[in-house]
Amino acid sequence: MFGGRSILRCPIQWPIHAGISSDSVAVKGAFDTGATDLLKEGPGKAFLLCNEAIVRGALEADVKVVSCYPGSPTTEILDTFSDISPKFDYKMEISANEKVALETCAGAAMVGLRSFSSMKSVGMNVASDSMFSLSYTGVKGGMVVVVADDPHAHSSQTEQDGRPFGPNAYVPMLEPSYPDEARRMVKRAFEISEKHGTPVIIRTTTRVNHQSGIVELGKMQRVPFKRLAWNHPPGRFVTVAESARKFKAALLARTARMQEEFDTSDMNLVKDTGSELGIITCGAGYNYSVDAARILGITPSILKLGTTYPLPRKLIADFIKRIKTVVIVEELQPYLELHVTAIAKDANPGLKIIGKWTGHFSESLEYNPNIVVDALSKVSGIKAPVNYGAILAKAIELKKGLPDRPPTFCPGCPHRATLHAVLDATRGMKHILSTDIGCYSMSYLQPLEYGDSLLSMGACLGVAAGMQYAAEEKVIAMIGDSTFWHAGMPGLVNAIHHGDDLTLIILDNEVTAMTGQQPDPGRDYNAGGKPAKPLILEKVIRAMGIDDITIVDPYQVRTAVVPIREALTRKGPNVIISRRACALYADRNKRHRGEVIGTNKVDKEVCKRPYSCIRSFHCPAISIDDADRKAFITRELCDRCDVCAKLCPYGSIKPREGE
Amino acid sequence: MAAKEFSVYMAGVGGQGLVLLSNVMGSACASAGIRALTGEQHGLSQRSGSINVHMRIGEEIQSPLIPIGGADAILALEALEALRYVEYLRPGGVVLMNSRVQHPVIETKEHMRDKTATYMSADEVQKMMAEVTDKIAVLDALGIANKAGNPLTENVVMLGAISTLEDFPIPIDPLKKSITENVPAKAVDANLKAFDMGKQAAYDILCDIVKCRK
Repeated sequence: MFGGRSILRCPIQWPIHAGISSDSVAVKGAFDTGATDLLKEGPGKAFLLCNEAIVRGALEADVKVVSCYPGSPTTEILDTFSDISPKFDYKMEISANEKVALETCAGAAMVGLRSFSSMKSVGMNVASDSMFSLSYTGVKGGMVVVVADDPHAHSSQTEQDGRPFGPNAYVPMLEPSYPDEARRMVKRAFEISEKHGTPVIIRTTTRVNHQSGIVELGKMQRVPFKRLAWNHPPGRFVTVAESARKFKAALLARTARMQEEFDTSDMNLVKDTGSELGIITCGAGYNYSVDAARILGITPSILKLGTTYPLPRKLIADFIKRIKTVVIVEELQPYLELHVTAIAKDANPGLKIIGKWTGHFSESLEYNPNIVVDALSKVSGIKAPVNYGAILAKAIELKKGLPDRPPTFCPGCPHRATLHAVLDATRGMKHILSTDIGCYSMSYLQPLEYGDSLLSMGACLGVAAGMQYAAEEKVIAMIGDSTFWHAGMPGLVNAIHHGDDLTLIILDNEVTAMTGQQPDPGRDYNAGGKPAKPLILEKVIRAMGIDDITIVDPYQVRTAVVPIREALTRKGPNVIISRRACALYADRNKRHRGEVIGTNKVDKEVCKRPYSCIRSFHCPAISIDDADRKAFITRELCDRCDVCAKLCPYGSIKPREGE
Repeated sequence: MAAKEFSVYMAGVGGQGLVLLSNVMGSACASAGIRALTGEQHGLSQRSGSINVHMRIGEEIQSPLIPIGGADAILALEALEALRYVEYLRPGGVVLMNSRVQHPVIETKEHMRDKTATYMSADEVQKMMAEVTDKIAVLDALGIANKAGNPLTENVVMLGAISTLEDFPIPIDPLKKSITENVPAKAVDANLKAFDMGKQAAYDILCDIVKCRK
């Protein structure tokens, strides 16, 4: 049992993510563990998560404004900045969405302060509208944005490759492979940003963000926070028509200058072994390449690209002139492969290029050491020392009968109760469920397998609007409170204005639960616990033009059914708010207040095995006793939400007392 | 200090404190001057989902992910999760496994339908694992943690157990220091006790099949 590295919050997250620890982990308060090391004055060493190393780099660079929206695999950046903010004078907010976060940083950087944002790949989709323009106008203070892709879609709706944002928006892009390099690159990114007057993207992937390692701690030379006077001519940051055309010419010149700089930058690493075989790689691919070469006992030359936009074309040309075969090790799209192929046309037309186009690698899923070993083995003709195929075949044989363990709702989760009530209320009612991004997305997984569509943050309403035009069934849209504030509101405006016949269910669990219970605009506090103005969902929705609002408590799983059913049978648009705090969040608050979280048990004398506590509910704390086939509650897992007790027709589930 | 390379694949169920376990090991490495890195899993597979952490120690290692057949040990805080990642164990590697089983909800759903079904047990897992290694130790970590005075110290019991291996490169003192620095002040005693009891349990059941520290 350890105090959290991410102190104020527990974990659970999704398209977004956060911390660690279970809520069963005692919380010691801020600045434990990782955070303590993170704040040590350099020089020194600490074992940090890459996301913490990124924060450290920004602190060493004297960042002044931080603005983020949580999203896995970047969330620990936001959490760490938030947790330590009382110790520093940087301004920080957890924004309503990534676009606002990016714009907040843009405004601060226009004035002249150093600003920082982080977001997951799909967050940049939301923010990119402003990012493209900001690249035109440029910035005065340094501005750095971490954008993290999620190959394998571990916790994302797509396996998007963020690298094309670099050339598409003409924004320079740096790409680290490991924590200490990330710390250094963040500092360099601020310098590049100010030198060239452009925002800089640090592009990472899940296996880089969620890698811990030994980090060198540099000096933190921080200057007290001070506002600056606006010192620009009118129109300085206005891009439209004529000014856009002028900005475009300037940013092309800027990009050419940076490309020349990057040709000799130490952020690009060349290991020239004199071999005819070379590897060109970046990010996580570098880590697997080094280990794969060691496993095979070969010593190819390696070019590790740290500046993935603009690419150091001359450096790449020099590298490929000295080799006969190059293996391109990069996840997702053949971005480097495309450019190396183009550069080789003049630099080394006979170069054999091994990559995705030769079938050695896939554009799908994340890489690992074995994938790179396989490719290098094929190219070099050297056999791997281990028969991986045999090991995998044996493992598959041994695992026959091993039950899957997909993620599911926590014990006490209000979503489990809401979904049970909605399934009860819709019995016999033909309907389509347009759902959204959050913990509740998991309802589409086993065991419930409930939910028909999911695209992106806030999309449930637009999709539901189209469904109610086209489908014969009743249309239900489902969204969480944080996602509603993030991008759901324009969809509801649209539905109200057009009188769409749909019912919106808002699962209000008070926080951005999936990423670790960060405060959203419904809370009376924000980053670092500082006070904030809470927005009241039903007030906002009523003001938007809907009076048909039904509010239920999902823990009242039986009595909530009728109001839900009635609301669903009325003509839409109308809204149901299912309100109950995230169980992890509520438990943490209870623990802070010194309250005991009880547990329930099954009274086996009373249990008649109707399995009402299991059917359509599926709490991890409830299993079936192999001995008597009766329900069994695991003491260490039960959260005592009492919902299963309400579902039992015999009243067999009772508080565990005096045990 | 140049440590011998050692990779341990840690598995468990979301909420068991796996990532923090690796953080304590990593911090101990940082203070002992040993190079360590991890590949962690955060995100979707949190509560009640399957969780794994790749912990790697060694000067030359660059990949945070352990290759297939590359783990010197599997440390499983839950029995089924040891089997789930068996392909990572190098042939003849060490398995340290908690005897506790947390039944996945989809297994329970099947049991509701099929009245003859029984859950997969720790014994069955051990039998399967025995086909790829003869070095398996099963600990009742929850029972030991309760004896240590705090049921939440299960993960430290397992840490104590693995620390007995001769090949485990992190010395005991930095590990204990790291525990002390990382747990709440009021839980330090229970955690250190859990660590020692886990060590003792391993000496009792593991050290006649694997080389242990003196």
